[in-house]
Amino acid sequence: MTRSPIFETFRYAAILIALAITLVPILWMASMAFKPIPEWQATGQNLTWIPKDPTLDNFRFIFGESSSNLIVALDRTAVQPIVASLLASVLGTLIAMTAGTAAAYGLSRYGSGQNLPLALLQLRLFPPMAVMIPVMIMWAFLGFMDTWWGLALIYGIVTLPFAFWLMKTFFDDMPREIEEAAMVEGCSRWRVFTRITLPMMRAPLASAALFVFILNWSDYLIALLLTTREWVTIPVYMASLSSSMTGQLYGAKAALGLIAAVPPVILGILIQRHLVRGLTFGALKQ
Amino acid sequence: MSAIHLEHLAKRFGGFTALKAMDLRIEDGEFMALLGPSGCGKSTTMNMIAGMETPSEGRILFGDRDMAGVPMARRGVGFVFQNYAIFTHMTVRQNLSYGLRMTGRPKSEVERRTLDMAEFLQLTPLLDRRADRLSVNILQRVAIGRSAVMEPAIFLLDEPLSNVDAAFRAVMRTELKQLQRQFRQTMVYVTHDQLEAMTMADRIAVMDHGVLQQVGRPIDVYNDPANTFVAAFIGSPGMNLLRGRPVRTDRGLAVDLGVLGVTPPLAAPQARAAEQARGEVIYGFRPEQTTLAREGIASPVSFVERIGARSIVHLGDGPAVFKAVFENDVPAAVGDVVRVLPHADAVRLFDAQTGKAL
Repeated sequence: MTRSPIFETFRYAAILIALAITLVPILWMASMAFKPIPEWQATGQNLTWIPKDPTLDNFRFIFGESSSNLIVALDRTAVQPIVASLLASVLGTLIAMTAGTAAAYGLSRYGSGQNLPLALLQLRLFPPMAVMIPVMIMWAFLGFMDTWWGLALIYGIVTLPFAFWLMKTFFDDMPREIEEAAMVEGCSRWRVFTRITLPMMRAPLASAALFVFILNWSDYLIALLLTTREWVTIPVYMASLSSSMTGQLYGAKAALGLIAAVPPVILGILIQRHLVRGLTFGALKQ
Repeated sequence: MSAIHLEHLAKRFGGFTALKAMDLRIEDGEFMALLGPSGCGKSTTMNMIAGMETPSEGRILFGDRDMAGVPMARRGVGFVFQNYAIFTHMTVRQNLSYGLRMTGRPKSEVERRTLDMAEFLQLTPLLDRRADRLSVNILQRVAIGRSAVMEPAIFLLDEPLSNVDAAFRAVMRTELKQLQRQFRQTMVYVTHDQLEAMTMADRIAVMDHGVLQQVGRPIDVYNDPANTFVAAFIGSPGMNLLRGRPVRTDRGLAVDLGVLGVTPPLAAPQARAAEQARGEVIYGFRPEQTTLAREGIASPVSFVERIGARSIVHLGDGPAVFKAVFENDVPAAVGDVVRVLPHADAVRLFDAQTGKAL
């Protein structure tokens, strides 16, 4: 099929605009991360798009090395927030995926009625703040405040409904006959689940896990309320990157933002093949 | 022993009765087709035999063994599903050998039987292909192989050919029949396609609305349907069924078909049947078993359906419509009035009230 040149022009223009809207802020952040102070502090007339004098100063700064140009000292480096974010997000994702998948399978295969699946959404029915304050009180009572496991637990609980609903849709779409076929041939229920169902669900599992991980990884509000000092996560730590003398430390924030983008990107690339398969799931004709 | 005996089997889903008190005996090594339209209870029956559903009433016996409470894994049945139920994350080889590996057979035996089955179903070149990249025809072959490799004494097939294309269906009909000849399993084959049932089965069980209508050899079900449902369902097109009233003519007992006039006198067995009738009867005859004759039933041609080898002539209008199958050179065009005579011994009479054969 040949398209008219006018159509092609519009097509590419539309693609470029869409790309610009999504990519420019990210590129701006990437550029900022490598700018020395005078460049990222610059306002108005001497705005630079590409660092004239690229430096790793911003990265050194957030990891605790004093910078020659920045006369600010951080009381904490970015190391522990990164560790906190990783621990809480990964464990939270594991909790949500394990419980969510098990619940989704059970309800998809044996569940009756609609109330239980909907009840799982109740945490989402209220404004997050209204829910988080009672959670904060509970967590304080349990001694979970400002701990990575306390954060992981609430991440698991909050993202469980997403894991559950995603997986339930996939389980509902998987023909029961496949499991029945395996059972006719002598498989136990448990074995069917672990050897047939889960392996066939690899693609949906990977897509759901990535989605849940990104939710956890980008949380700000919960971490802000449930951590105070020791186990603050990357977003909370990032908000604290400012000083009374220089105001917002944009360069340092950009450097941290760039680091924060790495895990989701790596995960995305790792499971890219599955993401595509997840979309085309249902290789069985009905 | 792998005869299957269904005793008073019934299944209800809430208020809906899927199967009403069914009694059926399937002999060891027999190929039995459960035939009926969608929702007639044939798949429910099959699922109960396999153990996927629990009967609401009645018993299922394999030989002398009552199957109540026996889980499907231990019934020793093979099951082929309409949608194949192939394990798509495995290769063809892994699919075929799955059951054997599950039951812990020695490696050499698993290998040998898998290869034999692959050879039988012409799957050998595809053994190491992943199952999610195969055509539906091949998938169904793999599904059949995966069950057959276990050499189950009872083999259950739930509309296995309804998703595959027509040409392949013809091939598979022959192959399934060969498979059964070779392994001598008791086969239960659920289908809504009468051609499959007629060509493969030793006996057919025709079902409708959860009730078993008739059991018999394909040719007997075709020739002597037990009621008007079976008469209309079996055959393509089905049997012509015309309302009428037995009348005495000077040449013997005949049937008055109302607007279509009076039929030629009935042959002796049909006349004896007509004697028992009280009031109206249904006059039935196969479209294939007719000729054009001067003393036949006069009726206008409304449509001529050319199906290739034969022509189906649609006759009459209003309530008195019927069909007749002729050679392609039949002198009948739309608008003509032709006289169609059913073969005397092919006429079947049914009670107009109950629909039962007289």
